[in-house]
Amino acid sequence: MAGAGPGTRPGKGDFARLAAILAIIAVLLALPTFAGRYHLHIAILSMIYFYPALGLNLIYGYLGMLSLAQGAFFGIGAYVGGLIAVHLQWPLWLTLPAAGLVSAVIALAVGVPALRLRNYSFVMCTLGFVFICESISKNWVSVTRGDMGLSGIPRPFLGLTPGSMQISALTGYYYLAFTLALLGLLIFWLIVRSPAGRAMRAIKEEEVLAESQGIDAGRYALVGFALSALFGGVGGAIYASYMTIVSPLTFQLYYTLLFLVIVFAGGAGTIGGVALGTVVFVALPEALRMAADLRQLIYGLTFLVLVFVLPQGIGPALARLARRAVTAVRRQRSDAVD
Amino acid sequence: MLTLVAEQIVNGVFVGMGYALAAVGLTLIFGVLRAINFAHGDFYMLGAFAAWAAMTYLGIPYGASILAALAVGLAAALIMSRFIAEPLAEAPFQNAVLATLGVSLTLQAAVTLLAGGTFKEFTGGWMDVVDIWGIRAVEQRWLLIGVTIAVFVALELVVRYSRAGKAMRAVAQNREACRVVGIDIQRVTRTAFVLGISLAVLSGALLGPILVSIYPAMGEGITFKAFAITVIAGVGNVWGVMLSALLLGIAETLVSGFIGTTFREAVGFVALIAVLMWKPLGLFAVRARY
Repeated sequence: MAGAGPGTRPGKGDFARLAAILAIIAVLLALPTFAGRYHLHIAILSMIYFYPALGLNLIYGYLGMLSLAQGAFFGIGAYVGGLIAVHLQWPLWLTLPAAGLVSAVIALAVGVPALRLRNYSFVMCTLGFVFICESISKNWVSVTRGDMGLSGIPRPFLGLTPGSMQISALTGYYYLAFTLALLGLLIFWLIVRSPAGRAMRAIKEEEVLAESQGIDAGRYALVGFALSALFGGVGGAIYASYMTIVSPLTFQLYYTLLFLVIVFAGGAGTIGGVALGTVVFVALPEALRMAADLRQLIYGLTFLVLVFVLPQGIGPALARLARRAVTAVRRQRSDAVD
Repeated sequence: MLTLVAEQIVNGVFVGMGYALAAVGLTLIFGVLRAINFAHGDFYMLGAFAAWAAMTYLGIPYGASILAALAVGLAAALIMSRFIAEPLAEAPFQNAVLATLGVSLTLQAAVTLLAGGTFKEFTGGWMDVVDIWGIRAVEQRWLLIGVTIAVFVALELVVRYSRAGKAMRAVAQNREACRVVGIDIQRVTRTAFVLGISLAVLSGALLGPILVSIYPAMGEGITFKAFAITVIAGVGNVWGVMLSALLLGIAETLVSGFIGTTFREAVGFVALIAVLMWKPLGLFAVRARY
């Protein structure tokens, strides 16, 4: 594996990868100069969905626990972000961490009982949690305004007083979303590269063996669940500040399953795969102006195709294909030299 | 006050009877395949929509539309069993979850594309009010109770005494041993799966007139509630399913009546977690039955 861990010397593949990442960043930085408004909107949406998808990737891809609650944490973050913006008017750099923290604390409360469950029971508990959140958002009218939702959420600002350094232009939103996505990516990368990240992978591979090495699987699961909710909540709060409206529709199962298809299809347990998944399942359908029900049909069929054909996901399959092509080219070259 | 409580309990029984019919199908499938079908509630939705479509587009009466819904459900169940459930019977559980979630999305999207995503009004059914032992309810609700009880009695007899039922119990206990003694596992699996799905379809078709408004995502909550009921009952316990479903229905109506509708959806969740924590074999599990 290229760049297997800290301490190993960078190889040829690492420089190629770094160059590719820098090229992508350069293109994304320059995007507003050549992309139209609609395409910028798509890019912003993709970068927002990148957050909850990364969070789900942590709990599912690295810890091996299939959680359907990610949509709920996304929704909670959206509501908390929206409520803070409406009632307290905090700057964005306070709103986002606050929304993430609320989601994480709720995840801790749910996780303590739920993470003691295994297999179907855990999956079902996380599913049930989504329904509870939806029901609360619909019925707690005095806070959430019920089915009408929170509308007219003020535009986010970065200054100290409400309205100073406000972000309202599309390009401003784009660079904000881009910076946040990059930041999220960096934090996620640091988490999974840390000893804790390695411990999580060990738990996924073989829980009993990991525990025999002194890894407290229960605690890692709880922390991982809270961190995944943190990412979901921050993503939700960015979503609320961009859309300026939050409604119980945010708790639709559709969102949870969208995050799941991004992670599962892109390649669970990889970062590039999740980025690829976001492009394929958010940006592409949006760019093709696909109707919501058609999109849902494609997501559903994608699950089926993946389970039976590509259980590793598209990203790792592409990487394998690329490696095979490179070795084939090399062999051909060495044949030519001979 | 007392009459109010009694009223809520009667309501809860009616609600619970609907849950029971859908949940027993999930229990049946879980017993034999050891897999939870996350599309179970969507077959309940399919039952309601197929009956609605048969009445609206073919103009047939409600009674015949139930049969049409069952036919549609049977075909869909056979396809899903052959191409998804059976190949995944011995795969890791996550594959089964992801695949059946895929079926759930696909079914909802297909119905939305065909019928439109908005609420549909289910007009039909037998809606005259009938008074039995002082309890007044529309005929449709009494029909639901009658059908549910009949289905449970029939299931109990089939599972306990018939050859197919014995084979189901045997497969639930030990697939390998069944293979050794020459039980056709595939056939047993398919029978249980199709039967379980048909019961979900039937419950949807019977509840349509009572719910009045039907929509493509209506089954999502049912999948969860059916699972909660299965766990509370203890896997493979037919009458336990009935009791648990009634308990859930009554608890839900009491909570939404006296505490608030906000917490209605939390009842199943709390009950599920509590049972899994303290009585993981279920409340009514005397022994694993099939």
